[in-house]
Amino acid sequence: MLKSYYYKFALIVAVIGLFIYQIYPVDKKMKKGLDLQGGVHVVLQVEKTPEETEKISELTDRALEVIRNRVDALGVTEPVIQKQGMDRIIVDLPGVKEPEKAIKLIGKTALLEFKLVSDNEKLLQQALQGKVPEGYEILYTMKKDERGIYRKETPLLVKKKAELTGKYIKDAYVGYDRSGFPDVNIVLNSEGAKIFEKVTANNIGKRLAIVLDGVVKSAPVIRERIPGGKAQITGRFNMEEARELAIVLRAGALPAKVNMIYQEVVGPTLGKKYIQQGFKAALYGGIFVLVFMVFYYFAFGLLADFALSLNILILLGIMASIKGVLTMPGIAGIALTIGMAVDANVLIFERIREEIKTGKSPKTAVDAGYVKAWSAIIDSNITTLITGFILFSLGEGAVKGFGLTLSIGIIANLFTAVFVTKTIVDWILITRKVEKLRI
Amino acid sequence: MELVKNPNIDFLGKRKIAYLFSIIIIIWGMTTFFMRGKKNFGVDFIGGDLLQIGFKNKVSVSEVREVLKKINIGYFTVQAVGTEGKEVIIKSNPDTSEKVIGALKNRFGENNIEIKSKSIVSPSMSISLRKKALYAFLLGIVGILFYLSVRFEFRFAVGATIAIFHDLLFVLSALALTGKQIDATAIAALLTIAGYSVNDTVVVFDRIRENIRKTRSDDYITIFNKSINETLSRTLLTSLTTLLVVLSLFFFGGESLHTFSFALLVGFIIGTYSSVFIASSLIIDWHRIKPYKFKL
Repeated sequence: MLKSYYYKFALIVAVIGLFIYQIYPVDKKMKKGLDLQGGVHVVLQVEKTPEETEKISELTDRALEVIRNRVDALGVTEPVIQKQGMDRIIVDLPGVKEPEKAIKLIGKTALLEFKLVSDNEKLLQQALQGKVPEGYEILYTMKKDERGIYRKETPLLVKKKAELTGKYIKDAYVGYDRSGFPDVNIVLNSEGAKIFEKVTANNIGKRLAIVLDGVVKSAPVIRERIPGGKAQITGRFNMEEARELAIVLRAGALPAKVNMIYQEVVGPTLGKKYIQQGFKAALYGGIFVLVFMVFYYFAFGLLADFALSLNILILLGIMASIKGVLTMPGIAGIALTIGMAVDANVLIFERIREEIKTGKSPKTAVDAGYVKAWSAIIDSNITTLITGFILFSLGEGAVKGFGLTLSIGIIANLFTAVFVTKTIVDWILITRKVEKLRI
Repeated sequence: MELVKNPNIDFLGKRKIAYLFSIIIIIWGMTTFFMRGKKNFGVDFIGGDLLQIGFKNKVSVSEVREVLKKINIGYFTVQAVGTEGKEVIIKSNPDTSEKVIGALKNRFGENNIEIKSKSIVSPSMSISLRKKALYAFLLGIVGILFYLSVRFEFRFAVGATIAIFHDLLFVLSALALTGKQIDATAIAALLTIAGYSVNDTVVVFDRIRENIRKTRSDDYITIFNKSINETLSRTLLTSLTTLLVVLSLFFFGGESLHTFSFALLVGFIIGTYSSVFIASSLIIDWHRIKPYKFKL
């Protein structure tokens, strides 16, 4: 009999341990929403011109690539760039330092350029020390580091004046070179073909940098004069890199008008204030409830308080492990969970009181209380869960965070308020002689 | 300790007074709501620019208003934040925020103002936000209606659903009457209220279900009243703990949660009231008009 309780206690202790591990250290594990850490959230809408034949969804894909490229250049930690529906793009830039600049950068027209690279190593070194030769500039290639942040990689000294721009590109697609590696084929229009032929003829052996919005995407060597406006960019790409480059080349000339239909900017000072306010409100609310429960139910109140604390621990632990985003309404959701989670225990305790009044022994009264309260607990929790889940799936940003914390809190509540408290009460009633319940 | 000892209140006998009270408040509130028109909604749902500006020195709302009147941006509102007089929220028509910031920088000096937050919602975005909010509502109501029909009886589900609508209309009335604006977080509050309202109703229904099964009686008025009384202390307790939290959010949660927690405050009180006086009462009245034996 007692043995099964050891398993149950082991489970409870394991859960506590696991979730403490999950949320520690809280500062690093909790992903804060834009409203709490400051940042930029924008929604862009791609507008199709009447003469455009391509599907709107594909236009959006291309626009998304252009925007991703620009955002990468900003060097923001964990940016989110997503397609929404057919024609919308969502960009989240948490913690971005200069929000106005970021918004301008996202909204501007894409620029694809071909620029000649100077191979003079000495000039490059001088330029890096600040002595950039007349008519030249330094541009960088970018690479994602292990934390997912784009960092400047290799500097290149390039001619300021572009030899060719994206508006001459007709198409770009992935192919294979003679040794079977993926390469990127570009097709220029007739005007572009003429320019390209001249440029390649005059610069054999030099490198031509492909620059998108100021970031060097690739810098292939010109091997021969290329007539006919068709060229291959080779260079040990893997398939994905080649595809990305092809998209970038196609996307260079932004195919459609992109309108910014929603923007939200939260300054970092406001986020800090929000955290303080939210924390204070949740803390006070929590303390009120904890004190009230002990005042009202004595030892059973302490039990409910323990369940409640565990509920919050599990809620935060799950948030941390699924990388759920904590927002200001999300904190409100946690606070509300505190208020509503005691409901299950109130239902049970009130039931136990009723059973005691009918003259049952403590153990029978407790058992009957839990059994009879169960249907009310499950029905009321599921109906709340329905709304919480809808807020999470249909809501956006801050509201989504609210639905998330509310839903997780309710699920955790079933475990803590019912299973955990029952285990403890049973164990006490079995190991000690309890004549009369004070509840 | 007990809040109420063996209550025996004839709740259902007072339902007509409750109906009257609810109808008066809702008609009054909804009339105000429709008269306010667009002013009921924040920028999320009608489009527009919202700026929260911090000032280095104390600035009065009327000073800001004077500045903005001169730049011809149409309708706008200025609202003070906090008590220090160093922060305001400005709502204006779409694509006017640049002008507003420019004018404020001119008047108060570039370095004396800080843009604390900014939302710019174009009319097309606001349409899709509105649609989304509406879908969320309908889906929520349908989900609840379906679940309750399965677990209880169709009439119970209808009673609970009407109680939800009652609560939401009541809260909308309260928002309109106190001059607050509905934004995305207010919608979250409304859905939470819907969830809470049903939660409360379900606990009463659960007891009714149990008592009907136990007694096999069809004296529904007595059973309903008995069930409401039996669950009364739980109803009051849970409302109390939840209200403690909501009050704490209302007083300490700051400006960004103000409308949200206000709506919750009204909604939770009314949600408790409606599970007693609306949801159960409607089922009883339905039964009086068209008698039916519940199979629970």
